Amino acid sequence: MSSIVLQQAINGIVVGSLYVLVALGLTLIYGVLVQINFAHADIVTLGAFAAYGVTHLLSGNYLAGIAAALVLGAALGWLINAGIFAPLRERGSELLPLIATIGVSIMLQNTMLALLGPIPYAFDTPYSNQVLRFGTLFLTMQNVLIILVSSISIGLLYGFMKFTFLGKALRAVSQDRETAGLMGINPNHLIMLTFVIASALAGLGGAMLGPVLVLTPFAGTSVIVKAFAIVIIGGFGNVEGTILAGLLVGLIESYTTQFLDPGLIDIVVFALLLLTLAVRPTGLIAERREENV
Amino acid sequence: MSDLSPIIAAPKAKHRPFAITRLAGFLIAALVIIVLPLFVTDSYWRTNLIVSAINVLLAIGLDFVLGYAGQLNIGQSAFYGIGAYASTLLVMKLGLPFWAAFVIGTLAAGLAGALLSFFAVRLRGHYLAIASLGFAVIVYQILLNWISLTQGPLGIYGIKPPPAIAIPGVPQVVFADLRNLFYLVAGFALVVYIVLDQMVRSPIGETLTAIREDEVSAASLGIDAPKWKAFAFAVSSAAAGAAGCFYAPFVGTLVPDAFFITESFTILAMVIVGGMGTLIGPVFGAILLTVLPEFLRSIGDLRLIVYGASVTLVVLFMPGGIVEAFRLLRRRLYSESGMR
Repeated sequence: MSSIVLQQAINGIVVGSLYVLVALGLTLIYGVLVQINFAHADIVTLGAFAAYGVTHLLSGNYLAGIAAALVLGAALGWLINAGIFAPLRERGSELLPLIATIGVSIMLQNTMLALLGPIPYAFDTPYSNQVLRFGTLFLTMQNVLIILVSSISIGLLYGFMKFTFLGKALRAVSQDRETAGLMGINPNHLIMLTFVIASALAGLGGAMLGPVLVLTPFAGTSVIVKAFAIVIIGGFGNVEGTILAGLLVGLIESYTTQFLDPGLIDIVVFALLLLTLAVRPTGLIAERREENV
Repeated sequence: MSDLSPIIAAPKAKHRPFAITRLAGFLIAALVIIVLPLFVTDSYWRTNLIVSAINVLLAIGLDFVLGYAGQLNIGQSAFYGIGAYASTLLVMKLGLPFWAAFVIGTLAAGLAGALLSFFAVRLRGHYLAIASLGFAVIVYQILLNWISLTQGPLGIYGIKPPPAIAIPGVPQVVFADLRNLFYLVAGFALVVYIVLDQMVRSPIGETLTAIREDEVSAASLGIDAPKWKAFAFAVSSAAAGAAGCFYAPFVGTLVPDAFFITESFTILAMVIVGGMGTLIGPVFGAILLTVLPEFLRSIGDLRLIVYGASVTLVVLFMPGGIVEAFRLLRRRLYSESGMR
């Protein structure tokens, strides 16, 4: 029994850390812009397909696939900011970019559907079949890779935000864009940087989620709704909260699968979300943002 | 100022009695509804007429809470699904008459909306958007997983059309006939439109707009914002519930996928493309986005790509939607004729 609990804890952390990668992108963009990019889901999907394509083209080099997904994600982030968010910024609406990116999402999903078809792709990485055993517990090399890559990228992001000049500038912009502008920081460049980083993380997450998901053009949607739950539970714009909430959702998912029913995962996660919002309207770890009256 | 205000093109609601021009407008709309199926005889296009009417109902309902009360609800598919499943199950499992089930299904959706407004009272903007999305995900998952009740992904089959209306001495009105069903749904949508139109032009409309524009100031004027938000949510989701009650007997089968969250986005797109914060805009938006994909069917897979692109392009270049485009066009025509 206890080994099942431990085993599911490992599985939960593996999946959770991937959710963290996706959710961090959403929360970074929200922190800087107070906007939601709905096409984030499709960057995840495209990342997964890019990794799939490159892995198969290069006779099983999955690491090259991950790199390709990262680069593709970054490029898409740049495009979406330049094409959608930058032109809409001066209108100052919280709804317009959301809807515009819903349109982008419909476009991307159906373009993928036309090119790739609705049948799920079987994405096996060379690391899925290598198993490490510790007594009754086991870990695939794929899981080890996921935990390594995601903790390195989360660590790098954290260090970047905390210690580099650009990271500090980014936090300055998310706290007060105008004052940061007066301090000689160009907010437009930093917003672009945020989109590139956020989307690269989504691509990266997609590359590693690909083997776990039912890989169809709509795969990203199931991930993104959980990522939304995570950023809300963790507090929009809050990096530490997002990491904790992501791991929490991963654990909930694996324990629900083990002890209840896989079909109930979303219900449990979103019930938790609504409960969180009912008790603490700004998430478990409150967003630091004053309301202007 | 609310963040929604820059895209709302509607002028301030004016207190006017039931003006003669409005009455004429409603009569013309009724006439169009009567005449349309006489020209559209092809059953495929008649089907699209009914889908358009259902979508109009969904879009004006959503616009009431989104465009007027300013509440970012992106979970409308949930109420649509609640109406459809509740009414169908009441008819099929409990043997209730259709119209009783229709009333209960509509009320159930309205009640669910009022419950969701509990969150809207405490949440702003994107938090409410995600909460409503979460609600839609939960409803979808329940429909999918409560197999003993909803038969899950297998779906419910053989849903009968609404019972025929038999008045002695008059030919029976059978709703298996697509023309009659269209009259029923479109007629109902028109009634809902008139009710909503009267409501937004009354002090109720001004109260909702006040909450949308600045909730704190509205509260300082003595407006009970939570109560009015609950009201707007209830009306909006009841309209979606009624649409669901019509959808089930029209299509004849119910599967949870019809009420996936993407359906919410489709309804949202209709409101935006038409012109949020006006009632007439979403009507045109709903019709356009229902019929446009049918014309694009010849290009197959490209259909939904064009759909997505049109939503994005409207937001980027014409954020007030069709209504704003008309307004600009009219202004240009007026100013040109004024120059001469």
